[in-house]
Amino acid sequence: MAILEVTDLRKVYGGFTAVEGSSFEIERGEVFGVVGPNGAGKTTTLKMLAGLIEPTAGTAAVAGHTPGDAEMQRQLGFLPEESPLYEEMTAIGYLEFFADLYDVPGDVARERIHDSLDRLDLEHRDRRIGNMSKGMQRKVAIARALVNDPDVLIFDEPASGLDPLTTNYIIEFTRELSDEGKTIVFSAHNLFHVESICDRIVIMNDGRIVARGTLEEIRAAHGGTEYHVYATADGSDGLPDGHGPIEVTRENGQVRHLVADMSAVEAVREAVEADGGRVTDIQTQTPSLEEIFLDVASEPTAEGES
Amino acid sequence: MSDGRVRALVERFGRACRHLRETSARTGRIARWEVRRSAGTVDRKTVIALVVMLLAVGTAGFSAADDGLGLEREIYVVGVDEGSRYYDVAADSEQFRPVPLADVIAEHDGATDGDDIVVRGDATVDVVVTRDGRIGHVGENGAAAYDEFRTAIETYNANLMADEEDHAAAYPVHVTLEYRDRDRPGSTVSGGDDGDETEAQTGAVDGSNETGDGESAADDGGGDEPLQVPAIGGGGSTPSTGTPGSIAPPFPFTSLVLAFLFVVPMNFVIQAYGSTIMDERVKRRGELLLVSPASRSEIVAGKTLPYLLGLVGVVVAIALAIKGGPVAIAAALPIALLFLAAAFVGAMFARSFKELTFVTVTISVALTTYTFVPAIFTDVTSIALISPLTLVVMDLQNEPIQLGEYLFSTGPFYLSAAVCFLLGLGVYREEDMFAQKPIPAKVLDAIANRVRGPWSLPLLSILFLPFVFASQLLSVALLFAVPQSVAIPLVVLVAASVEEIAKSIHVYAGVTRSRFDATLRTAVVMGALSGGGFFVGEKLTHVVQFVGLPDLAVGTAAFGPAVSSEPLVLGAVFLAPLALHVGTAICSAVGASRGRAGYALGLLTAVLVHVAYNLGVFVLVA
Repeated sequence: MAILEVTDLRKVYGGFTAVEGSSFEIERGEVFGVVGPNGAGKTTTLKMLAGLIEPTAGTAAVAGHTPGDAEMQRQLGFLPEESPLYEEMTAIGYLEFFADLYDVPGDVARERIHDSLDRLDLEHRDRRIGNMSKGMQRKVAIARALVNDPDVLIFDEPASGLDPLTTNYIIEFTRELSDEGKTIVFSAHNLFHVESICDRIVIMNDGRIVARGTLEEIRAAHGGTEYHVYATADGSDGLPDGHGPIEVTRENGQVRHLVADMSAVEAVREAVEADGGRVTDIQTQTPSLEEIFLDVASEPTAEGES
Repeated sequence: MSDGRVRALVERFGRACRHLRETSARTGRIARWEVRRSAGTVDRKTVIALVVMLLAVGTAGFSAADDGLGLEREIYVVGVDEGSRYYDVAADSEQFRPVPLADVIAEHDGATDGDDIVVRGDATVDVVVTRDGRIGHVGENGAAAYDEFRTAIETYNANLMADEEDHAAAYPVHVTLEYRDRDRPGSTVSGGDDGDETEAQTGAVDGSNETGDGESAADDGGGDEPLQVPAIGGGGSTPSTGTPGSIAPPFPFTSLVLAFLFVVPMNFVIQAYGSTIMDERVKRRGELLLVSPASRSEIVAGKTLPYLLGLVGVVVAIALAIKGGPVAIAAALPIALLFLAAAFVGAMFARSFKELTFVTVTISVALTTYTFVPAIFTDVTSIALISPLTLVVMDLQNEPIQLGEYLFSTGPFYLSAAVCFLLGLGVYREEDMFAQKPIPAKVLDAIANRVRGPWSLPLLSILFLPFVFASQLLSVALLFAVPQSVAIPLVVLVAASVEEIAKSIHVYAGVTRSRFDATLRTAVVMGALSGGGFFVGEKLTHVVQFVGLPDLAVGTAAFGPAVSSEPLVLGAVFLAPLALHVGTAICSAVGASRGRAGYALGLLTAVLVHVAYNLGVFVLVA
């Protein structure tokens, strides 16, 4: 059952359309990635889900509650791209304040806060936030998003601007949260992170969703796995219709056949052997999400696609 | 009523109570944490500095109220012998310090043969009184000191006369003063039982009527009416006698200074309050509160509550210290509320702390002027009632205050504060509070956020009335002392401009923020609704009738003349403003639908029509 449902979400600022007709559903416990270039409408979409921005049209619901509803806000943990913290407060004081605001009983809050900070490996908890490093501040911000033990977490660029060590720590922590059954909506520019932890992904461009599905589905739809068949002879002529190689080149005295699927590989092998040659090597090449993203983002968005 | 309906009502009531309880709890939590958080931003040195400053302001205020500022104490030195009849003059005057004559002049006996007074080279003296009674001055300050000494002599003589038991001997001519409201018609009757009643001479500023030339009547019990002579500089209205030279307008110095003490802390508190609101906007810190279960109004209420309660505490403390009553507290609270509301909306509009400083200083100056200046005229004219501080002054003088006077004074403050909070709350959301826009654009955003359908237009016209009312009252107060030939046209122009802006600004905001289509038909409908709403609301301003402000010429210019009792005139006077407001609002709305330049042109035309109408009515009816 979908815990988060988004239907025809639209946001217009003056004459500028930031998000146009976004619709998707997120299952409970899923890690859902939202990727796209700058200005694609990712952050606006996430903020509409969090109830920060009122949609111009369309709806978003968390467990049946609409954004802005106090009950929905209780089930939600939002981590914005920046860490807008009260720098004059201590980490503990800051987290206790938000726990209080979310009606978390004092003893439960203290236990939860210390547990989160332990897991995030945050020391100097009584230090003022303004005196903490950026990585430490980010950890406090993550702990704040968890202070109400939400079912749904919305992480907008959780590791933005952090060093690789802290970034890995935060990505691993996100994975742990997912393992615990939290539903996570995750946005990041680092597509390697998205690829490594997201179950499903939407790619946005110019305010529209231009690709969606699991990574495999997206690969299949936007340039799936490619096969390189190396042989001593050219077998391209003998291929039946529909199995034609994408590309045939000569490398180091061998013929390289670039084909799209396994049946084409088999057809090349048969054609080469019929010609008296033999297949010396078969290599597969899977495009990364980044390659697909660059490919998709460079395409003009089709009107009405969502 | 059926059981089902009763059950539904009970459930609804229960839900409302639960909601109220939850809202109060969340507001309280935010308020508590706001205090704790803000306390963390203030270091020990700042706390000490604040305490010292408050003590200094308090001490200065109380001592100024008690003794005057004392800046001129013993600034001049008089060389005079103790045996001289002028010695007591110098000794009694605060401005002079007497020194023995022998210490300052060169001659051994202090008497000079010629006209010149020879002062010793090392002597510091400004005025010298020789033993034969001649008075001279020396040095750079001598001339000024001499003038002051002459004044001191007159004051000394007047005091001697006042202390004289035989008033008939002291005052061969008896003058009775009775201070009455400037606007109240009628003459004053002389106090002497055998004095001639003469024509009242209405003072231009002091509002006093001087009459009578009867004999001294120290023992005759006065005239036909009780004597009411406010004590000069004392703020009271204790009957007294004096020379004609001592006649001065009643100036409640003590009460005024004490009343001003209420306003002083407000100026400091809004700095802190404005900063805390601005703090939420820089670095997007308020974003996380907005995704919490707390609503926008709960957040704003929670952040405002500590400052409001703090001001309430300060107001109560000051009232207790200066022996003010509950009326003084009730009058000071709407001032505090408006200070906070203006600071809130200013902090929501400012783009940076630098801009916020400008905004809060403007608020401080504007509101302090608005409250303090009219209060100076507490004992002179009903104009003073536009400021709640006047009520404080009245309360400190133990003058009775009517409910109508309280509502008239404080109503615009309460309503303006409510509208300011409403506008600020409209932009307390992610899309507006973190956007870097110029203040005028933010103002339009705030107004446009309240434009929700055509029927919101008349409502907004009514909501803007407190500002219209306050602006017009302020213009009346500021131009009160200006010659009427200048004041009346200016007041008419200001009144028309303010009303036309109030009727059209939300229409313009609605059009520029795409709340409406910019078609001619829509503009006409919007203008008609806005003008109609304003007409309805304007009738509320008739509250000024209760305090007699329209009796003043400038009051009439701002609020219109009193309505005639003739039914036909009454009907025309009732309907003509409706036609005016609808017509001019349509004019501005049509201009607004054509963009900024069109709005400016439409507004200008509307103002000119309005001015012509007001002047016409003023000439014809008044």
